[in-house]
Amino acid sequence: MEFFLQLLINGLVVGCIYSLVALGFVIIYKSSGILNFAQGEFLLLGAYVFLAIVAQANVPVVPALLLTFAFSTLLGLALERVVLRPLIGEPIISVIMVTLGLSSILRAIVQGIWGTDTRPMHAVFSLEPIQIGPLPVARGYLYSAASVAVLLVALTIFFKYARPGIAMRATADSQQVSLSMGISVRRIFALSWSIAAVVSAAGGVLLATMRGGVDGSLAILGLKTLPVVIVGGLDSIGGAILGGLLVGVLENLAGGYLDPIFGGGVKEVAPFVALVLILMIRPYGLFGKVRIERV
Amino acid sequence: MKLISSALLVLCLAASAQAQQEIKVGGIFDLTGITSDVGKPYAQGVRDAVAWTNENGGINGKKIRLVDVDYGYKIPEAVAAYKRMTGDEKVIMINGWGTGDTEGLKAQVNQDKIPYVSASFSAHLTDPSKTPYNFFVGPSYSDGLRAWLRWVKEDWKDKSRNPKVAFFYGDNAYGKSPIEAGRRFCKDTGVDLVDEEIVPGAFQDATSQLLNMKQKGADYAYINVTTTGVSTILRDAKKLGLPTKFGSNPYGFGEGLPQVAKEAAEGVTGVMVDVPFGEDVPGMKRLVDFHQKNHPADTHDTFYVRGWTYVLVWSEALKRADKAGKLTGEGVKTALETLKDFDLGGLTAPVTYTSSDHRPTTTVNIYQIKNGKLAKAKQYEMERKPEWLGL
Amino acid sequence: MLSGEFHTTYASDMGIFETRRAGWLLAAFIVALFAIPFLAGSYWLDVTNRAAIAVIAATGLNILTGFTGQISLGNAAFLAVGAYTTAFLANHGVPFLFACPLAGMVTALAGMVFGIPSLRLKGLYLAMATLAAHFIIEFTSSHWEGVTGGVAGTSVPSPRILGFDFSTDSRLFFLIVPACIAHLYFAKNLFRTRVGKAFVAIRDQDISAEVMGVDVFRYKLLSFAVSSFYVGVAGSLLAYQARIISPENFPLSVAIDHLGMIIIGGLGSVLGSILGAVFLTLLPEVLRLATSVLSGSFPHLVQLFTPLKVAVFGLTIVLFLVFEPDGLADLWRRVRNWFRLYPFSY
Repeated sequence: MEFFLQLLINGLVVGCIYSLVALGFVIIYKSSGILNFAQGEFLLLGAYVFLAIVAQANVPVVPALLLTFAFSTLLGLALERVVLRPLIGEPIISVIMVTLGLSSILRAIVQGIWGTDTRPMHAVFSLEPIQIGPLPVARGYLYSAASVAVLLVALTIFFKYARPGIAMRATADSQQVSLSMGISVRRIFALSWSIAAVVSAAGGVLLATMRGGVDGSLAILGLKTLPVVIVGGLDSIGGAILGGLLVGVLENLAGGYLDPIFGGGVKEVAPFVALVLILMIRPYGLFGKVRIERV
Repeated sequence: MKLISSALLVLCLAASAQAQQEIKVGGIFDLTGITSDVGKPYAQGVRDAVAWTNENGGINGKKIRLVDVDYGYKIPEAVAAYKRMTGDEKVIMINGWGTGDTEGLKAQVNQDKIPYVSASFSAHLTDPSKTPYNFFVGPSYSDGLRAWLRWVKEDWKDKSRNPKVAFFYGDNAYGKSPIEAGRRFCKDTGVDLVDEEIVPGAFQDATSQLLNMKQKGADYAYINVTTTGVSTILRDAKKLGLPTKFGSNPYGFGEGLPQVAKEAAEGVTGVMVDVPFGEDVPGMKRLVDFHQKNHPADTHDTFYVRGWTYVLVWSEALKRADKAGKLTGEGVKTALETLKDFDLGGLTAPVTYTSSDHRPTTTVNIYQIKNGKLAKAKQYEMERKPEWLGL
Repeated sequence: MLSGEFHTTYASDMGIFETRRAGWLLAAFIVALFAIPFLAGSYWLDVTNRAAIAVIAATGLNILTGFTGQISLGNAAFLAVGAYTTAFLANHGVPFLFACPLAGMVTALAGMVFGIPSLRLKGLYLAMATLAAHFIIEFTSSHWEGVTGGVAGTSVPSPRILGFDFSTDSRLFFLIVPACIAHLYFAKNLFRTRVGKAFVAIRDQDISAEVMGVDVFRYKLLSFAVSSFYVGVAGSLLAYQARIISPENFPLSVAIDHLGMIIIGGLGSVLGSILGAVFLTLLPEVLRLATSVLSGSFPHLVQLFTPLKVAVFGLTIVLFLVFEPDGLADLWRRVRNWFRLYPFSY
């Protein structure tokens, strides 16, 4: 039982990070219909920039965090303007390829500037676990769970009550109507990219502090986002969060119970098997909007 | 037109004259792939050592030209680099890196008669009847694991039962290399192997594997991945509050480990093939001098030292082959096999190759991390058993 | 200067070459192509062979994605299926002339299986399904050790036809390039037939196609099958060329590379597949030459080569998509027309 619970908790925490990245993905898709395959690289850049600011410029944690977010905002704005604007209206495959190209460029830039070795992060949390009942839970886990919860609440409030949030939802529904209502769709696109970049950067910072360092392998996370958003539904924020948690738990349970049978590797493939199953049963995910097209 | 053609002619002559004074050695390194955390310092060590050799008389006056390439730990890239080096560049020998690609190329290397001195310590490369052109400098991964298991048996104080051991290894040729030898040695030495956990090439989280191991109740665990993976496992183990004592392989243990894993690295043991950088041994002086002269601001580690030891070994072989007038692949192989107790000034154990045994040494040093620093714990002289040749 | 085409029969209107001169030029080009093994060094032959294999794979992908509009990220996986099937067959004594087409057919079957989701899924969702297919096949190839040799991979003997051993790159050239030409010819012809036109109809407007009587599901599956056959043959040739294959030969980046090839080359165009594949195979080589030339002055460039390769690839894709969305084929067409209509090219 304890084994199961440990796996569950670990899965939930890892899932929080997935949710953050998936959130960014969904935000961009929801408002501009673009699938951003470079979301994982936003996480990577966020982590590296945070590390650079904290370790090399010796800035304390909270201002460094704010600076990282500022950087991510600028990055999101820049990318949206330079790369995505010209691609409005192009077929979906071009958009996918452009973001894939972008992800390559961003990954290469990170590798070029910082190399691929692990850069240690000075300890933000101690490694000593806190005992919750029979289980030791790492401090870092609790902090990430708390941060994700805070972000979720903040974003929900934002989308429900704040004006830009409502404007984003309107744009997602219909760009033309929103334009005629006086919403600047261009600003909405820019805003959605910035928020997505910031949210991913937050995920990157959390992951870096939990692991004690950053290295090139963080980029793999980007791929894991895809099962998450499909399971949750491409245009549902709640779906992204729930999907992230589900995939995290699934991964860990599969790893814990099935890895010994198959000799490893099940952990990586399990989210994709889930992806196929969901695509077969409920292609629009658990919470996505269903678009019916019968041929 | 005449001017151009004569200029070209002069250039060609100069180039060929230059080429005659040069000995081309290929270098296949991992600077950006999953083992680049140890690959980069190693490569720098090799490059620096080549530069130092050239500055100090070269190979009987001839200069070494290192044709180096970064293959990112991808076997297909290594194969392509090999083809280029032997086909186009016509190198005389290659200083290789990873287990997967070295083992993959062993048949080709044998056919082409290119001595291949790899950073991989895989025991599968030690039997000249199977792989006559493969060499490496240091005890094999298998001997390292055996020595560590012997340390475990000595460290285990409870007489009522055997110590329980788990193996963590990567899902590739390097990770799997010593495992079979380890399994057999556990049986021979009275150590219970209770669990084997496989981790993917690059991973951020080893919690589910560690939880599996926890269920099996391992007292000790050997980690056979590079330093980045080792620090992730150590940190995750600490977070889970596991009492297991960890040990690491020669590419997972170095000065950088305590810096990244911090308190999780305390007490961890590991197989050290070369001394830490800056250690007080006679051979260290030239490294420190070169470092002071050329890049005093950089930090170096044991993997940098490893690169140096490799160049010292094969450049000696090149000198011997050249003196014998046989500067060919076959000549260099024979020259390597004349090395007997070749002294490296304490940087690593003395090297001996024979035509029937390519194990350079069976001395294994086990180090332990105390107060964030590497300290020598014990030295083992593993037996040079014939049944262990090639395993 | 060409002053217009004047076709008098249906056959000449539908012909592959618009003018006879184009046909002769192509023949001359092919003859010149076969001179390469006698002139190039072994490394460049290796590059040429790899480029030819990439052309076959890219053409296969173009059939599926460019002509039929089904986005697929599974190319690397199908390449793996073709390669491992060939390795298995060849290691059990099956000669090249049977192993290669057999591998293609097995891959075609695999393609059809993974094409089944296309009945219900479109666009991004189909891409995701093929992505999942990639990971599942990757998992299988790493774990089905009996057949694939697991993570260590497996070696492939060199192909033999009637006792003649094609063991060097220059000999392999004479196997790979003719196969490539044959496949290209077939592909070009495919789109003059009913089947090919059905594919294009599905891409353009699948609902209308169904209404007009094109059995969309059947033709989608056929498209997957044909495309996968091509990729399977490419994988098979790859196995013979690389001689050692392991799961590392087929990472996801290969699939992305192939997609890049057809986008840069031009979707829905056989010429585009050729241009894109050759361009993207030569790009890292050119980059490497540049790095080695410049590394005398900038010694740290060797370390930067790998990220540079990735960055340049990404940048090329982005630039092409932003400035030249119809690809190299379209660029070629415009340049060629300029020359054809000279001095009236405006």
